[in-house]
Amino acid sequence: MASARNELHEFEVLRNEELAQGIWRLVLHAPRLSEGIRPGQFMNLEVPGDNSHILRIPLSFSRADAGAGVVELVYAVVGEGTRRLSQMGPGAVSTLVGPAGHGWRLPSAGPVLLVAGGVGAPPVIAAAEMLSLAGLEFDAIFGAQTAARLWGPERAHDLGARRVAITTDDGTAGVRGFTTQAMERLLATEEYAQVMTCGPLPMMAGVVRLAQASGLSCQVSMERMMGCGFGACNCCNIAAAHGGYKSCCMDGPVFGAEELAW
Amino acid sequence: MVGKSVSMAVSLGGIQMKNPLNTASGTFGYGWQFESFFDVSQLGAITTKGCSAEPWEGNPAPRLAELPSTIMNSVGLQNPGVASFARQSGPYLSKLDERGCAVICQVAGHSIEEYVRAVELYEELAPFASGLELNISCPNVSAGGAAMGATPAAAAEVMRAVRGRTRLPLVVKMAPHDVAEIARALESEGADALSLINTIPGMAIDVRTRRSRVSRPTAGVSGPAIHAIAVRMVWEAHQAVRIPLCGIGGVTSGADAAEFILAGATAVSIGTANLTNPDCAPRILAELQDWVASQGVNDVNDLIGAFEC
Repeated sequence: MASARNELHEFEVLRNEELAQGIWRLVLHAPRLSEGIRPGQFMNLEVPGDNSHILRIPLSFSRADAGAGVVELVYAVVGEGTRRLSQMGPGAVSTLVGPAGHGWRLPSAGPVLLVAGGVGAPPVIAAAEMLSLAGLEFDAIFGAQTAARLWGPERAHDLGARRVAITTDDGTAGVRGFTTQAMERLLATEEYAQVMTCGPLPMMAGVVRLAQASGLSCQVSMERMMGCGFGACNCCNIAAAHGGYKSCCMDGPVFGAEELAW
Repeated sequence: MVGKSVSMAVSLGGIQMKNPLNTASGTFGYGWQFESFFDVSQLGAITTKGCSAEPWEGNPAPRLAELPSTIMNSVGLQNPGVASFARQSGPYLSKLDERGCAVICQVAGHSIEEYVRAVELYEELAPFASGLELNISCPNVSAGGAAMGATPAAAAEVMRAVRGRTRLPLVVKMAPHDVAEIARALESEGADALSLINTIPGMAIDVRTRRSRVSRPTAGVSGPAIHAIAVRMVWEAHQAVRIPLCGIGGVTSGADAAEFILAGATAVSIGTANLTNPDCAPRILAELQDWVASQGVNDVNDLIGAFEC
């Protein structure tokens, strides 16, 4: 799918609200971006007001509505940049660079197993939207530290997921344990055509191991600290499977698991 | 807008630039990455990412950390080699040259032999180049433990070896230390111009894990926090040599660029700001032009080194 070029867009904040503990939803008015962005791509936002923080914040989006000209992002407050982002209220304006990178590739067949850990949920929800639109069946697993920090299962249900499994580290929602354990249970009884995952690196490594052991192709959405987000600085490298590096912003952020060194 | 009649053209050691604005190598890719943000041909020159005779993988991840008003990088000059670079980016860069923007290609190497080989490859494969920039000061590549240009004698040795291999103007990218002595050594060996400063070696330690925040112990610090240091070093070099200088370090505004010119720079490169605000160059150029006009001169050259103590 051809995607639009990386450009500088002005945006206005329409809504910015806390959905779960430390998990926020930001709704932006950015009409041109909403038309061009594809599931799994990302954008690099500038949070104004503090010149000592010079890098933009790379964030994936969960939903784009070209008709309304809006893009919806779900993000976790993890540092000073995202804390200040959470303070941008309706009417606040800034700029972003996007749509950046290559997104999810639409599988040729279902069913697909989606596995999301923590702040990896937004791009997985974007993938669920894509599968839903394409009429492909999917199941989804969501993992979080605790129930209060869980986001995504309801949206997956609404998008038509056949099954939604939940795991938490402390057992306050779903089954106590890890997403990989839930994945093993599903793989024992269900047939899948492909796996798509985003979450903490150790989790994704586990998901890739399980997928490959079952002979399933797997797409992974990677995260790296980024200098530019459009291929100019070579700062967001990821070790490639057969030596050398891939660029997270240009070759990714979505990769075939077989492209990377795990 | 004021300053329509102001002459902004400069010559950086024979590289003819329609205005003093250039881009710092490593922050501007090969130029084409920025065409979706602004018309790159507005710039006086661009300096492309350093390339070596053979492809380099660069350093492991992570390569980047953010610190107050700075970033530090340890990319290690990842590049596809001069031949691949010329094949992939040559058509764009030839057109950019035709559009009136000088193309300066950066030369990387680990040894004198590698610099010589890379210069020869550029001579053969990069007819679009108006000049070469010899990077003898990358803090992120090891060559016997120090950058090749760490001493006046070592810098002179590299310069001597490559000078006869090209008729293109040679700019030398300098490290942020011993600027006056190294500048004199390079001038005496035939450098046409000097660009300074390269990133400043720094460290950032994650105190929880006790590990470096990048993949090597040290990395190159750039951005607004190093601007004042860079201006001072340009001023020192300007007092030491007669060849033109290109000031680099933390430029985010026309005023920042103007400081370099007053300190003695003929050209000024935008670096880290290209990454964070990829459309900043035309704004900085307009601000610089307004500043020249505001100083009551008709030619930016009248302001080079016009700093008054």
